[in-house]
Amino acid sequence: MNAEPEPLLELVGARAAYGPIEVLHGVDLAVGPGSVVALLGPNGGGKSTTMKVCAGLLPLTGGELRFAGRRVNGVTAQDAARLGVCSIPEGRGVFPNLTVRENLWVATGTGATLAEMEEAAYTRFPILGERRHQLAGSLSGGQQQMLALSRALGTDPAVLLLDELSMGLAPMIVTQMYDTVAQLVAEGLSVLVAEQFARAVLPIADTAALMLHGRVVAVGRPGEIEDQLSSSYLGG
Amino acid sequence: MTTFLTFTILGLVLGSVYAIAASGLVLTYNTSGIFNFAHGAQAMLGTFLYWQLTYGWGLPMWLSLIIVVGLVGPAMGAALHTLIMKGLRDTADVTKIVVTVAILLGMVYLSQWIWHPEDARIMEMFFGASAKIELLGVVIRAHEIICLVVAAAIAVGLRLLFTRSRVGVVMRATVDDPDLLRLAGHNPDRVAMLSWAMGSTLAVLAGVLITPIGGGALEANQLTLLVIDAFAAAMFGRLRSIPRTFAGAIVLGMTATYVMAYFPTDWTWTGNFRVSLPMIILFVVLIVLPQDRLRVAAVRTRERYRVPSVRSAATWGGVFVAVVFLLSLLMEDSSITTFTLGMTFAIIALSLTVLTGYAGELNLAPLSFGAVATIVAFHFGVAGTGLAAHLSLWGVLLAVLVTAVVGGVVALPALRLRGLYLALATMAFGVFLSNMVLRDTTEHTLFGVTFSLFPNGTLIVPPLKVGPLDLRDPLTFLLTAAVLFALIAVGLVALRNSGYGRRLAAMKDSPAAAAMLGQNLVRLKFGVFMLSAAIAGLGGVLMAGASGSVAGDNFTIMASLGLVMLTVVGGIGYVSGALFGGLMAGVGFVIIIGTFNDLAMADPAMGTVYTSIGQLAMVATALIGMGVGKNPSGTVHDLVGSYRALRNAKPVLVGGAAAEAVLYVLALTGVIGNWWFAILTACLGMMLPVLGRMLMPAAVLGAEEAARRRSTPLELAGVEEPYTEELRRRLDRELGLPAGAAPATPRRTGFPLAAEEGDVHAVA
Ligand SMILES: Nc1ncnc2c1ncn2[C@@H]1O[C@H](COP(=O)(O)OP(=O)(O)O)[C@@H](O)[C@H]1O
Ligand SMILES: [Mg+2]
Repeated sequence: MNAEPEPLLELVGARAAYGPIEVLHGVDLAVGPGSVVALLGPNGGGKSTTMKVCAGLLPLTGGELRFAGRRVNGVTAQDAARLGVCSIPEGRGVFPNLTVRENLWVATGTGATLAEMEEAAYTRFPILGERRHQLAGSLSGGQQQMLALSRALGTDPAVLLLDELSMGLAPMIVTQMYDTVAQLVAEGLSVLVAEQFARAVLPIADTAALMLHGRVVAVGRPGEIEDQLSSSYLGG
Repeated sequence: MTTFLTFTILGLVLGSVYAIAASGLVLTYNTSGIFNFAHGAQAMLGTFLYWQLTYGWGLPMWLSLIIVVGLVGPAMGAALHTLIMKGLRDTADVTKIVVTVAILLGMVYLSQWIWHPEDARIMEMFFGASAKIELLGVVIRAHEIICLVVAAAIAVGLRLLFTRSRVGVVMRATVDDPDLLRLAGHNPDRVAMLSWAMGSTLAVLAGVLITPIGGGALEANQLTLLVIDAFAAAMFGRLRSIPRTFAGAIVLGMTATYVMAYFPTDWTWTGNFRVSLPMIILFVVLIVLPQDRLRVAAVRTRERYRVPSVRSAATWGGVFVAVVFLLSLLMEDSSITTFTLGMTFAIIALSLTVLTGYAGELNLAPLSFGAVATIVAFHFGVAGTGLAAHLSLWGVLLAVLVTAVVGGVVALPALRLRGLYLALATMAFGVFLSNMVLRDTTEHTLFGVTFSLFPNGTLIVPPLKVGPLDLRDPLTFLLTAAVLFALIAVGLVALRNSGYGRRLAAMKDSPAAAAMLGQNLVRLKFGVFMLSAAIAGLGGVLMAGASGSVAGDNFTIMASLGLVMLTVVGGIGYVSGALFGGLMAGVGFVIIIGTFNDLAMADPAMGTVYTSIGQLAMVATALIGMGVGKNPSGTVHDLVGSYRALRNAKPVLVGGAAAEAVLYVLALTGVIGNWWFAILTACLGMMLPVLGRMLMPAAVLGAEEAARRRSTPLELAGVEEPYTEELRRRLDRELGLPAGAAPATPRRTGFPLAAEEGDVHAVA
């Protein structure tokens, strides 16, 4: 039938709003199996909102959200998580008043055991193992982001949504984080990653999409899109 | 020494029960963000049930305990969460508070209905008061040991739950970030429900334990307030920390017993002071402890209010006074006085419109400010004696002024607090006033002056007389109250439309943003609080004048809470909401209960049925209050909205007015009774918008909406019209088919579950 593999995650004409204010005006986006899609664009373009819609945190007001070709409009975030969508939200995706270990414990909500979680996290990021009884809020920014990413390591999701992974982090840490993501991709994970600044994510991205004013205005090879991104910044 | 030890043990026991109650409160507040004012009422209801099982029906103690603490407690909490609390997300603090207040009132009414308040009910200590041991000369009863052990077990149990179990850790995580919890695959609603079940169980347990300590007599209001004392303990932990809550509870219990032990016996007010102590401590703790900083983001809430223009408000004010006059022609003198009483309550309710509706702050004890004004007017404002006694204008003005100052003094320390804390501070003030001032019936001598604040427990307050205006005449009083209500209401609308009003609204929407714009929030809040207290004071004095004599019971916190709830039900953002709330709280209940009692007298065979219906009406009102969560803008808002839609349907409006005029003439000439007039008017008022929609859909709904309502039924789609892409999508949607051309066989794609499940929604 269809030669192209069906996308794992797909938005078709997706609209979403905060109260009466519509923020996404018909977004089309597809993440194929095993691919990495970078969602780029200036601040306020609607990237985080798109991520929230995909994760089930924000309902659609129009259009469709599809997981593996199936329309799942209205899916709750907890069901999306159980279906294999792992979303690391903007900012730090950790609970500051829980310890590292307790954070990993909470992350077992989709079926993994605490032992598996700890194993996966401490092997990849030994520093977390050393600090397992420390409050997450007292970790450095990079360590918190490692902890957030550990949820993806231990729960074996099908799709990973990453929002501004690099925000506020030193370049070296960012590289380390994306190395980890690249390894997960090599194991077959599909990733949708939103970044305001393209540099960090382009090496691992297969496709890039440029988002402006609540619409995806261009999709293409990462290099092309980066050029457009810089011109859209310069052009206002 | 023995005295000291004895009272220390007693203090520890009292403290441990407070701790049990307060930890339940903290638990629910943290997982759902709702401060449960009904916590004490839940304890009360559980305790009554326990009494019924053990003493009423003679079940063995352990069985009743299992039923009440093990089954009813958790079920009550889970039900409250599922039916009501879950729906309170994204509502303003005010709405959350009012809904739990409505639950409190509903539970109190319910218990008074089931367990008649005039029958005496006594609960014994566990194993009886004689089961005791002696240690170092101190007698400790078995019941007290049980309290201590249970509290210790709960402290340890909660500690283990929160650190050693996943569900406990998830509960703590809910406080931080419910959305992140969802992303990790948990359901915050389920977590919240569990915590409500636990909180409710703790409340019930505390009620069963504390009743015998407090003397054993079961009385619904008193028992409810007893557990409310635990609020102070919860505040020690800033509503977050359970260990600190326990510490606060112990301090609270100890202080209360030491006051009993060591205050000189000839201080007549010691007993009152001891009862008020938790509220005094609550007030102090609220002020002393640092509170959460203002949140920067605006609170996005579902409450919506339209602001009427001053002109339309003035017009409606005139219409209102005219309608009151026309109605008064239908009434006898006694009904006119009742109506007047309701009108004075409506004036008190206006104090809430400006404070809560416009400025977003809450005063849970409006009647207490009315009480302050009444006391001042009684002591300083009465001129003449006997039948010539009257209130002077200066007396009323002084009373209003003093109340404004008292309002300022109460609010000043609490001004930097967020809504909930200010609400708690006003409640603490109200309970304190009821316990200390309104019970100050014996005489003291202070600095050579002998006085008592509330002599003999009743104040006789004569009506106001200013020049030729003598309010002793019922009709004059009614019309004066109506005119005053209209004047204040129009004044408030003018205030809301002024720059000051817009600043208040800005403060309500986003305190932090308003502060950043250079507004002095403290001054703004201070001013509006004093204004509100002054209005409540004026209403209070008039209310006392209309009743003739008032007792402490007229100003209880329960009565205040009822007024607040009904005003919110009416619509806290509107002066007409205040009219509804005031009339209902002031006289609505009296009329409803009275009518059904009369019916019961007239027809003894049906007596119990009628009395029950009367009680049911009270509970039903509380149910409406709970409904505020679904419809936070209030009934008046909806009614006004539905009439606004009729604007273009003039024939319907004119027809309605004509029908109403006919009804009025029929009532005036005595063809139909006043009850029929009231019932038919209510029906007409509610039916008119519906009629309008049926008769003139295009004018009422707008052409587009009317056309949409007429759209083709699904089974006829595409029969008489071209089969478009749009139509095909609609069919897909309505039939639940996947959009677009669905592939014949869905391939396995890497989603662990999605590919196998027929419908994702089924996974939930
Ligand atoms: N919680 C919210 N409530 C209302 N508007 C919001 C909210 N979050 C974001 N917005 C608005 O939605 C638009 C898109 O924001 P966002 O999705 O965060 O963009 P990006 O992640 O690309 O910076 C912005 O105009 C922003 O102001
Ligand atoms: Mg963003």
